[in-house]
Amino acid sequence: MVIRERAGKSEDAVQGVVPRLVLEPATVEEATAAVARCASDRLAVVFVGGGTDLGLGARPFRLDAVIRTGALSRLVDHAPADQVVTAEAGMTLAALGEALARQRQRLALDAPLPGRATVGGVVAANAFGPRRTRFGGARDLVLGVSLVRADGVAAKGGGKVVKNVAGFDLPRLMVGSLGTLALLTTVTFRVHPLPETEVTVLFPGLEPDQVRSLAAAWRAAQLEPGSAAAVFSSDRLDLGLRLEGFQAGVDDQVARLLDLGRRSGLPGERLGAAEGAAFWRRHDAVREQGSLRVKIASTPSHLGDLARAWLPPILGELSPAGAVVYPTLGIAFASGEPASGAGLAAGLRAARVAVTAAGGSLVVCEAPPAIRPAFDPWGPPPPSIDLMRALKERFDPERRLASGRFVGGI
Amino acid sequence: MNGRASVSELAGRMAAVVGARNCFSEGPDLLTYECDGLTHGRTRPDLVVLPGSTEEVAEVVRLARAAGRPIVPRGSGTGLSGGARPVPGSVVVALSRMRRILEVNLEDGWVRVEPGVINLDVTKHVSPAGYYYAPDPSSQSICSIGGNVAFNSGGAHCLKYGFTVNHVLGARVVLHDGKVVDIGGPALDVPGHDLLAALVGSEGMVGIVTEVTLRLLRKPETTRTFFATFPSTDEGGEAVSRIIAAGILPAAIEMMDRLAIVAAKAATGLDWPDVGAALLMDADGPTAEVEDLSERAVKIAREAGALELRLPRSEAERQLMWKGRKSAFAAVGRISPNYMVEDGVIPRSEIASVLREIEGMAKERGLRVANVFHAGDGNLHPLVLYDARETGQEERAEHLGGEILRMCVRRGGSITGEHGVGSEKAAYMADMFGDDDLDTMKRVRAAFDPDCCFNPGKVFPSSRLCGEKPGPGGVEHPAVKSGEVYRW
Repeated sequence: MVIRERAGKSEDAVQGVVPRLVLEPATVEEATAAVARCASDRLAVVFVGGGTDLGLGARPFRLDAVIRTGALSRLVDHAPADQVVTAEAGMTLAALGEALARQRQRLALDAPLPGRATVGGVVAANAFGPRRTRFGGARDLVLGVSLVRADGVAAKGGGKVVKNVAGFDLPRLMVGSLGTLALLTTVTFRVHPLPETEVTVLFPGLEPDQVRSLAAAWRAAQLEPGSAAAVFSSDRLDLGLRLEGFQAGVDDQVARLLDLGRRSGLPGERLGAAEGAAFWRRHDAVREQGSLRVKIASTPSHLGDLARAWLPPILGELSPAGAVVYPTLGIAFASGEPASGAGLAAGLRAARVAVTAAGGSLVVCEAPPAIRPAFDPWGPPPPSIDLMRALKERFDPERRLASGRFVGGI
Repeated sequence: MNGRASVSELAGRMAAVVGARNCFSEGPDLLTYECDGLTHGRTRPDLVVLPGSTEEVAEVVRLARAAGRPIVPRGSGTGLSGGARPVPGSVVVALSRMRRILEVNLEDGWVRVEPGVINLDVTKHVSPAGYYYAPDPSSQSICSIGGNVAFNSGGAHCLKYGFTVNHVLGARVVLHDGKVVDIGGPALDVPGHDLLAALVGSEGMVGIVTEVTLRLLRKPETTRTFFATFPSTDEGGEAVSRIIAAGILPAAIEMMDRLAIVAAKAATGLDWPDVGAALLMDADGPTAEVEDLSERAVKIAREAGALELRLPRSEAERQLMWKGRKSAFAAVGRISPNYMVEDGVIPRSEIASVLREIEGMAKERGLRVANVFHAGDGNLHPLVLYDARETGQEERAEHLGGEILRMCVRRGGSITGEHGVGSEKAAYMADMFGDDDLDTMKRVRAAFDPDCCFNPGKVFPSSRLCGEKPGPGGVEHPAVKSGEVYRW
């Protein structure tokens, strides 16, 4: 077995740290051997899929090698009748989506940059998009994983059926672990049918309280939008709700949503296909662009604080600036180009203090190198940090995997 | 500590923490704790303790550990895999006194409860406001949230709504050293490893949960149910496949075979016909959507060969249909002196052929198997019927149950969809997972509980001691150190 390898170049850098060695395995076996080689040579290694979330986390303490999973891009198995798919970790979301669409199915995990983001990377980074509103995140869709531990041992967890509680839940443990525990080589997901139709309803120019009251109204009316996202437009929110499913159900929900809006004095609009796509492109731009991107996770009842207290000090330091709020998740993203490093770091710190005090978190997803030293990307570690350290110790005692990139310096 | 404290010494210390009434080491009450819902195979614990608060749980854990005693956490004891079965010398920590609902936040959609709260009571508590807790194991009127967390419980409606793991937002956990730690939110995406994933479904092997924050859902606007009968499970299975292939996601889709139908009728007095298979489907959501889906599904069921279709005319009639399904396990007692409940998973598309294979396997052994299952997700519950008075039947039944699980693994499925591995299926884990897979899982456990204080002898297929050191840093078990070796 000969694994493709080369010397690291500047484009292989992880937050400015260039690895000596780049390994590009093309099969699961090669990937296993690549990690085993790093183990025997004691190389500190970062796993890279599409590189879309390399800005997440801290600069590595040590970095000798990068293992790129891009060549590990095959569809392993798709069983349409069982609504289950297994893909190699380096397959992009877009390629997987294309394969699934041929059987009129999809993975309801609409993370940013699907043309580059890989299934392994999306799981490792816990990346998600607006469909999390209805379908949950990676942890709600992942069924099984194959992985390679730091010591080069390959193992699997979970299964290839939608229901399975045999053994400890390794697949979900990998979600958001950012390559600190193991390299993912294949991932098995539950998939869903492609909806017959989708319609986006737009409620433009809302105050945060109006978004909250509208959300309360659709919940009271027992409507179930598949996606809910509010995009900042100057200091107002444009709320987009996407309904998906069979035509009859979608039409009815759209009509009732518009009716709810009218009764609250908030006129909405049923968007045509092109206008709907344009709204979601505005959303995507906030999630995908900007040399600074941060995520604030709180709870839905803090929407007012998010929009009026926590985001403004950050947005005030960005130009252009954008923000998206998922009102039912209590999560927001802000992005843009920082005007001055010092002002931004101060804005981020102020926001983090307030968010943390309210039980939430502020995490840096991307930041220019100038900002990095002035601001911890993760913030104060959660009270369970000792358990996370213990987990790391069991999986990677030499701390070679994504060394120092994770919460609390893990 | 020199050697192991005697039971009475330990009982005295425990009683000082939880009160004498909540700690016992003898008497008829102890019997209850010898097993859980899996009643064959009993082990007497040395001590049963019922703490009433997080602080008491922490102190109980410290005392038990100092005394070198394994700790077996226990909820309502409804588990079906022997997950709460004590090991010799153990202290059972039963959480049934901790049943307060602590806090509700409807706008953010969560409720914080103690582990002894009964599953259905969560829904009852928030139902007047139009909310509910989604996971609905058949035992939901008696099983506890703590037990649900330990076993990642499912239920008929997890096809659409997911399992316990999808509905736990946070937890307070007492660790092996008596430390108390909060993991998760209410807020989503707490930075760091997803420790809730390690906790939920860990079968009481990582700690004792003393508070749980659960996700609440708004009730669906409408639920439409239909009941369809088929000549055999072939046509029934085909109907399920076609419904799913049509892009319909039912809230639940359940099937029973001929024997299960006979049993359910005998137990409930339902006027179900004698047929080869019956299907019960729920669609829920906004009214227009549900009516559309339901109509489509009914049409598909007809085309797939349904003999008869019944739509309940009232909520009471709908509940009765579900009662027939949910009581099916116990109902089998009407047609057989003894039975064993299995819990395997197969790829949904293989249901019909798997059922035929099970029938053949049963015939070979001169046994009968009734099948009740969650058809939407391929989760089978074969009920192996036997008569314990007949020599050798119980062993044959056990053997058949095991063969069925192995067949599920061969078909690409799992040895358990919702009942857990417990002590009963630990031996079958090796059919599904290799040594390296199991070693990796043990590392997760060891990160939480390096000495295997909690619920030893479950999940992992080995009678070896914890001291086999899963991963680096494994510490020799105190019981081994003190020269007092248990077999668990």
